[in-house]
Amino acid sequence: MKNRLRVLRAEKNWSQADLAERLEVSRQSVNAIETGKFDPSLPLAFRLARLFEMTLEQIFIDDGST
Amino acid sequence: MWCTRSAAERVYLTRMLISMSIYVLVTAIVSWIFAHRHPQGALVYLLAVLPALPIFAVIASLGKYLVEEKDEFVRTVLVQCSLWATAVVLAFTTCLGSLQKYVPSLNKSPGPQNYWVFVVWCLAFAAAQPLVRRRYK
Repeated sequence: MKNRLRVLRAEKNWSQADLAERLEVSRQSVNAIETGKFDPSLPLAFRLARLFEMTLEQIFIDDGST
Repeated sequence: MWCTRSAAERVYLTRMLISMSIYVLVTAIVSWIFAHRHPQGALVYLLAVLPALPIFAVIASLGKYLVEEKDEFVRTVLVQCSLWATAVVLAFTTCLGSLQKYVPSLNKSPGPQNYWVFVVWCLAFAAAQPLVRRRYK
């Protein structure tokens, strides 16, 4: 699923490692989500939304591919 | 970095190290007993199965790691590697069985011991890791 995570992370001036630390996941997880190759679970998606103080729809783009 | 280890992974590696150390020790002791003491009767079966018990612990520790790992991406990679390893073992043993059935020279040979199945699984599991992870880069 496409998302705006890379842009949002850049706006906060966070590295992938910074974001991973805040989410308590591996940097590989952040990279895989950012590239749209791994869809996070709903709890992790909500953690992302809370961290960026946004709704899920503002972070993830539903392109109808899945 | 790929080498960053979670708490669950560190526990898993510790369990693996302990289990494999016990396996080596038990195998050495059992081999020595069979070579020098020539056990008889039910003791033969009991001693023969002893080296397999630490391997049960290795399998259980992998299962516990899958449950205890908090990172869902890592869990996904592990599950996919396990499926690849299982597929390789099934394909390998099926192919071997077919060869032993139809190739006359192989039909008469005992073939590899069954305990190699777990070794092949572990090798396939390890080989699958970089391949599976590459898909997500």
